Formats: sequence, structure tokens, C-alpha cells
Amino acid sequence: MINDFNYLKPGSVKEAFEMYAEHDDCKVICGGQSLLIVMRQGMVAPEYLLDIKGLDELRYIKYDEKDGLRIGATTTHREIEKSPIIQEKYPVLSLMETKLASIQTRNWGTIGGNLAHADPAGDPAPVLIALNANIKVGGKNGERTMPLEDFFKDYFETALEKGELVLEVHVPVPPAKTSVAYQKFNLLDSDMGIVAVAASITLNGDDTCKDARIVLGNAAPIPKRVKNAEELLKGKKFDEKLFEEVGRISYEESEPVADIHASEEHRRHLLSVLTKRMIKKAWEQARAVA
Amino acid sequence: MSTEIKELKYSTFKTNIKYSVINTKVHNVDGIAKVTGRAQYTFDIKLPGMLYGKILRSPHPHARIINIDTTRAMELPGVKAVVTGKDTLGIKQGIWRRYEELCDEQILPLEKVRYIGEPVAAVAAVTEEIAEQALDLIDVEYEVLPAVFEPLDAIKKDAPVIHEGVERNVNVTRHIEWGDVDEAFAEAEKNGGYIREDWFRCSGQHHMCMETRAAVSSYTPEGKLTVWASTQSAYYTQALIAGVLGMREGDVRVIATYVGGGFGGKFELDAAMFCSAVLSKKLCKPVKIVFTREEDMIASKRRTPMYYYVRTAMSRDGQLLARESRMFSNGGAYTGMGATALYLSGFFHSFPYKWKAYRYDGYRVYTNTMPSTSMRGFGAPQAMFCSEQQIEWMCADLGLDPYEVRRKNAHTECYEVPGQAFIQSCGMTECIDKIEQWAKSKGDLGPNRAIGISSCGFMSGGIFNWFDSPYSFSSAVVTINIDGTVELHVGCQDIGQGSNTTMAIIAAETLGVKVEDIKVHSGDTDHCPADLGAWGSRQTLMAGNAVKMACEDAKRQLLEFAYAEMGLNIVYDLDIKDRWVHVIARPERGMKYEDLVRKAIRAKDGQRIVGRGYYTPHRKGMISPAYSYMMQAVDAEIDPETGKIKVHEIMTAHDCGQPINPLGLVGQLEGAASMALGYAYLEDLPMDEGKLLNPNLVDYKVIRAPEMPKTGMIDIETYEAEGPYGAKEAGEGLTNPTAAALGNAIFHALGIQMKELPLTPERILRALREKKEKEANK
Repeated sequence: MINDFNYLKPGSVKEAFEMYAEHDDCKVICGGQSLLIVMRQGMVAPEYLLDIKGLDELRYIKYDEKDGLRIGATTTHREIEKSPIIQEKYPVLSLMETKLASIQTRNWGTIGGNLAHADPAGDPAPVLIALNANIKVGGKNGERTMPLEDFFKDYFETALEKGELVLEVHVPVPPAKTSVAYQKFNLLDSDMGIVAVAASITLNGDDTCKDARIVLGNAAPIPKRVKNAEELLKGKKFDEKLFEEVGRISYEESEPVADIHASEEHRRHLLSVLTKRMIKKAWEQARAVA
Repeated sequence: MSTEIKELKYSTFKTNIKYSVINTKVHNVDGIAKVTGRAQYTFDIKLPGMLYGKILRSPHPHARIINIDTTRAMELPGVKAVVTGKDTLGIKQGIWRRYEELCDEQILPLEKVRYIGEPVAAVAAVTEEIAEQALDLIDVEYEVLPAVFEPLDAIKKDAPVIHEGVERNVNVTRHIEWGDVDEAFAEAEKNGGYIREDWFRCSGQHHMCMETRAAVSSYTPEGKLTVWASTQSAYYTQALIAGVLGMREGDVRVIATYVGGGFGGKFELDAAMFCSAVLSKKLCKPVKIVFTREEDMIASKRRTPMYYYVRTAMSRDGQLLARESRMFSNGGAYTGMGATALYLSGFFHSFPYKWKAYRYDGYRVYTNTMPSTSMRGFGAPQAMFCSEQQIEWMCADLGLDPYEVRRKNAHTECYEVPGQAFIQSCGMTECIDKIEQWAKSKGDLGPNRAIGISSCGFMSGGIFNWFDSPYSFSSAVVTINIDGTVELHVGCQDIGQGSNTTMAIIAAETLGVKVEDIKVHSGDTDHCPADLGAWGSRQTLMAGNAVKMACEDAKRQLLEFAYAEMGLNIVYDLDIKDRWVHVIARPERGMKYEDLVRKAIRAKDGQRIVGRGYYTPHRKGMISPAYSYMMQAVDAEIDPETGKIKVHEIMTAHDCGQPINPLGLVGQLEGAASMALGYAYLEDLPMDEGKLLNPNLVDYKVIRAPEMPKTGMIDIETYEAEGPYGAKEAGEGLTNPTAAALGNAIFHALGIQMKELPLTPERILRALREKKEKEANK
């Protein structure tokens, strides 16, 4: 049963900062699709809930050809999925959102809430890290921006300081001939991933790999870059044998934890298969983009 | 002179009568009440002065209760009562009432707890929150005992004793045998037949009803108790509650107007019913208990996990010669309905084939886990998973056509399962023909993809009466009002499967009126006749027969009057169709149904027309009055790198006799497919030392809309002489073939043999690895 709590509803971001600074034992709720589950399980029982979902100041999707994409923290998953500009410029983001959870959850859950929850099985983080995204956070004492990759610290732990909220995600304009592919492994469509892989491939004009970013989901306490594999790809030509080898690096460098859904060995195996497949897919897609 | 009659055949027949309601698409009679939220489930019941109950549960799988101190809990403001086993009569109850040794469960036990989650105390308080807080203030002193969790461990000589005096923890055994099995195997061996043996492991499954177990009990100073319960049988609940409280059945009223699913898990007495009744009796106030999803998952009941050893002899040309099987089931802590599952699993393990020699020995073994019980399919999905895969593998080993082998051995109409059952209608052969045509029409499906098949059959209600009901198995009373509207009182239980609609259709057809003329009253023991309830696929046939008989009784009374009124020559026949009373040979000659009713009631000195009907099977063997048959094909594709299964389509050729409501039938088909597919590759109840590891819907996976494959049905029409209008079972049996058919699809797609459920990606990859290693070693 969910414990009784005091409900705080700020009217502005400024007021949210103040309320958050004033109340100890306060959790931020922004859709509640993750928080309510752990509250119901009794794992979290805060005295105060600060509900920022209604803050329309943070509910936006902006795109600029130079600056790239900016998504406000209270934007819902469904809004990201349905955004025509995201579908056009960052199709992988929209596709990821279509499988993030059920439509009901996507209508309620927000991008800021998802990232702040820092579940290593979360879908947006690996894709956004592959897209080289930044995150803007802030509180009463000001704002700061960091690469999303640096935001995650441990299971359900982030770089957010006391009193800070997630404010915005920024996705830069991808380099030319870049494409990102993402897939999670699960048995139920739109369920949490048992593991997931996002791969970004940037090609040179001669079809060799200029740059690669490979991010594993639910393979470690935080979304995990496989930098050795990325290095191995650079300068190489399309080669399925090479992708197998890159998959093996994912297998070796991941540190997944066994649970009732899959053993550690099976997770490593799936990560190697998905890494191979996502690199190939991203590569093939990158050839087609300008 | 004597004539020797070798085989007396019933001729099954099809009627040439055109129905006006049967087999038309009828929407659920309670559909609008449900979708508009007016339907009141037990969960919705709120009474003046009602208290809320919560149950304290054992954290230990096996422990002696030394002491329970409720002082601190009673001191919490808002707490009105705390009860333990000492506040009960201490009656050991069970649903197998004819067998004292199988009545083995005290809900709120006095001496021992036997599984994690077993109730030890219950609280009633003014709010649910206070009741829950009070649980933490109950001090229970346990002496933890050694525990055992798997049947093959529990059956060992030195295993912990779970129930005093039960040797080797064997709860029930069941032996089924016909023919000379040893002789048949010896003969097969001598003649160069093929003998194969395999071990299988079938998992448990949670019923996962939308409505968790729930009850509101209201005991009043007049000495009467009313219980709103989420139950599959209001009558069983009434009788069981009266038994444990030492009351007369007639002083207990059970109301179950709307029930949010049962699937076999809700016809025993549960802790919500029992604890709320005990608390209410103590306080003379209404008490409501609703299980949380977690409580429902750890401490209700589950599909019976089974270990199967199967040995089968087949001739080189595909004749099934003999089978012997041994089954060890994980019974959990108590008997419940598990004893029936033990029997039915062994019986349907022989289906749908004509074995000359067959032997089954089932052992239900107590363990320190949540009890297992009946669940949709009643032991048959497990039995078919083993049987239908092994037969498929034997066909492959011998290079035989699996359709041909099944056809060669299939049940046919008027077949007697030796000493067990008599089959009247049977469309098995046609089912095989149709599925073979369908599968072949699909052509080449490409790599890693194949169609797997499984045949099976199921009962239309059980003949057994271990409950020891003195009443008819089903009863119905029909009353016709002055305006022609009809009150139909039935004891059969609508739990969402649509039985009220089925009964309304049968009543409307029989009386010759429209479905909207029928008002169905069910789920109330004060106002409805007794009926065993919704289990074992019994209601369409049994309650359907009772309704038909009641309506024929009422109709006869109407037509008697019509005869006189119309002054007919007695050679003429009268009938009513679509509210028109008419001479069959001259349909234009007649009168309005409403006019006839008005006149007939006047002629009866103002008495409403009342018809009565009942049904109890007689001389139909030991199992069931009739059997459904089917063959199912599952088209599945497996990713050989990840082991993930994608089911493209499920096609079922299905003989349920005369379909009553095609809409209901499709609902059953789709519901069964989702439940059975979940059982086949998703759902499992993993435990660690008796503790369930996934007691929530995040970690326990069920099939949802995106995973549902396309489903289709080929209706094989037969006429079942024992069923109302020729109808048979049509909902539960559809759960039986799917796991086996999917297993066979995997076998044909990847060449691996899956002997353990569920069919997870890891198990598939392991089998693939073993296959590769085997091939490398060759």
C-alpha cells in the first residue's frame, strides 16, 4: 500500500526550486510511471511529493538546424514519439519511444522523469548517449549542463545535487552520414528490456567508419559505452566478421546481473548479438543518409 | 435363436431444425452493465459500518506456531478485532468433502504453517491502512522446521513430514489402467516396434484473474450471514462456509453476481471468505477483505507443476501400441482441487487416441509451497505437452507422417475408453483433416519457422461428486410473467465466461422468445437453485440441459392451453418461434405469444407459469457425459541467435458440438490462446526456498495485445446427443494443445526437443548448443 504523503504542486519552475529546497524527504514526481511502482512496493516512502508534471515551461520540443534538438523535462514520451520533427531528424528516438512501454504509460511518463529515475534498463538513455546528448539540470542556486553520459552514477543514482531538477535534454545535430540504431531484447513488446544496445555509426565518404558510439542498456549499473569496440571500428570497412568481434567485446566488457528473467551468461550473449546487429543496421542506414 | 450384437452404435445425428437464437451472434447479456461500470463486483461492495480486514501471513515455509500475541495490535486505535486459529472451530476443511483425509486445510492453522504466505491471523479495523499497520503489531513466535519444496525431494524417505501421518508426503495417488500394458510392451519389443521414453517438467501458472480474491461478510444478530464473494460456485462457498462456522447452509447466503475471472482458482474456500466471515461473526459488523495482487500471487493457488515420465510403444507403421506414464505433481501444502487435477491429467494424457493398453500412475506430493490446484485445462495442458511432443518425435524418428499417425489412432464416435468413458460425438478425424489442409496450404514458411500441431480433447463437465452434494448437479427455474417476460433463475455461475448469456440463448430458443425477453438471475444462493458452479467445463452442458428442461416444462404448460384455445386436431404439433405460437405444419396459423401467456395465466387462476429443470449425469462412465475434440496448429518462428519466439498464427479445428453463441466461442478461443501461450513460453512461478520471486505484474509476464497472434477457428460441427441442442464444452479444452503445438513448431523449425516449460529463450539456446555438440561428436 502506498504510504500517505504531502502533495506539493508548484506553479512555476522557480516555485518548484524553492519548494524542493525547503522540504527534506521530498521526491519529485513527473508522471509517476516509475516512482509509483517503487512506492507501491514500499521501497520508497517520502514525506513529500513535488509534482512538476504541470510545469508547461518545461514542456517543449524545439529544433534548430545549428543547435539541434531541445526537449523540456516535462515532455511526455508520447509527445516525443509523435513529434514530426523528431520523426524526421531523429527517427531512432521516436522508434525507441514507441516501444518504451504501453501507450498509457507513454502518455503519462516524461523524459525528465525517466532519466532522473536512472534505471539502467531505461530506454531513452542509451539512445540519447549514442546521439551524444547533454542534460541540463538546475535548482535554486543555478543551472548546469553536462554530457548525459556523465549524469548516471550508479543504479538509480545520478549527478543531481540536493534541490536540483532535470530541466532539459539537448541533442546536437548529428555529423554527416550518421545513423543510430537501437534495440532491446524482451519477451513482451514494449516491456522493459532484459538488455539493450544503441549504436551510432558515422561513415566517411569511402564507406569506412569515421566514428562509432556503442551504448549498452541494462548491462551495468549505468548505461555503458563500449569504447574498445568503438575504437576497433574506426577506419574499418563494412565487415560482418568485424561486427562479430565487436559483439564479443560487448560480451566481455558488460557486467550484467542475473535475475529471474535471464542469467548473466544469457545477457552477455544477447548483448553480443544485439551489438553486432545494431552496428550493421546503423551502418546500412548511415549509407543512405546525407 | 439369438442374434449377436457385436457393437451397439448410437447414431449421432444432426437435426434439420432451423434455430432462431442458437448459433446467432449474441452480445453478453451483462455487457452494458460491465462497460458502463454499473456491475457491482465484490470489490465494489460497501456497507454501512463496514470494517476492513487484513491478513497476517507466514514468512516461513514450514514452522510450528508457538504463540501468537495480539495485545499490541488490539491496542492500536481503530482496530476492532484480531483473530487467530484459536478463534475458529479449528475444522480442517477441503473441497473433497467425501474424503476426510483430504480435508487437510485449516485456514488460520492452530499448530503449523506449511507455506510462505499462509494466513496466521486476521485483523478488522475501521480503515484498510490501520488494519495493515496492526499486522506489524502481532507478535508470532515460530519454531522454524526443515522444509521441502520439490515433489521428487519430498517423496524421499528422510524428507521433512509436512502433514503428520502422511507417509513420504504422498497426498493422493491415482492409478488408471486398461489392457495388459506389460504384455503389450513385450509384444512390441518382440515385433520390432519402436519404444521411446522421456522425462518432462511442466511448470506452474498463476490464474491472474482481473479481480483478486475478495469477500465481504456480514453477520447479523439474527444469526444469519451474508457473504459477497468472488467465487466460481456460490453453492460450494455457501456449503463450505457453513461447514467451517458450524452454521446451517440455509443461514448462509452467498452473493456473487459479478465475478472478475476464476479460471479454476476460485471454487475452494479462500482466506478472504473465511477470515472476513470469522471476523464478522465475532463483531456482528460487515468486514471486507480484498487481496492485493501480491497476496493473490503468493497465497492463493496455482496450476499444478508436474514431472512426467512417459514411455510409449508404436509399431513401425504408426499404430500406438501401449503407454505407461508416471507423474509426480507438486501439490504444495494442501489438497484443494489438486486431487482432481491428478486424475484428469492422467486420463487426458491418453487423449485422443485408442490405446489398447494404457497405464498411468500419478502421485500428488505435499511440499512447503503454495498449494496447487485446478486451472483451465485441469492437468491436461501438462499431459498434452508431454504426450503430443513425444508422439511427434516418434513419428520423426520413424519417418512417419504425423497427421496420418494421429488419424490412424484417433478416437471416433461411439468409442469406449475401456472402463473409463463412452464417447458419443467425436469430430477428431475431421479436425485432423482440416488442420492438415490448412498447414499444407501455407507452403514453405522459410528458415527457422514451422507449424507444430497438437490434438486433444476435453470433458463437458465432471461426473464425480467428491464434494458430496445432495443436490442435482444443475438446476433451473423459469417463471413467465403476464407480459411474456421471463425470469430465469439458475445456479450456474457467470465468472466472465458468459454463462448467463448462454443460458439466456438456450431459454429463448426453447421458449420461442427473444434473448431480451429473458432476465437471468444467478449468483445468489437465497434466490437461485443449487448448482455445482463454473468448473470442469460443465455449465453449457449441465446447466444448459437444466435450463432447457425448465423451459420445456413451462412451454408445455403454455402449449397445453394453446391446444385447447385453438381447438386443434391432436395430430397437429404446436411450436413457438420468435414470439409466434403456431401450428408447425401451417406456420401462418397461430397466435401471439404475449396473448397466449396472458390467457394461460388467467386460466391458471392467476398463477405465473413456472417451469423446473435439473440435470445430473447418469450412466455416462466415470469422467464426463461428453467430450470436445480439437487439433491446433501453431505457426512460430524462432530467432536462433537469441532464442526469441514469434508466434505468427494459431489455427484450431474445433469440435464443440453445436455452437451456442459464436461470439462467446471466439472469446473463449482467444482467451485460451493468450493464457495457453503464456503458459507455453512466458509464465512461471520461480521460487527460492519456497519464496515466490515474481509476485507482481512487472516480473510475472502475461501475454498482452501486441503479442497476441492471429487466431482462427475451423468449426467442426457434430451433434452431441447428451448436450442441450447438441452442444459440448467450448472454452477450457482450448487451453490444452498450445504448449505442445508450440513445442512441436520449435522441433520442426530448429530440430530441438523441448522437455521443460516454459519454453524460454535460454532453454531454446541451450537445446541448440546441445544439438550442435551432439552433431560434432558424431
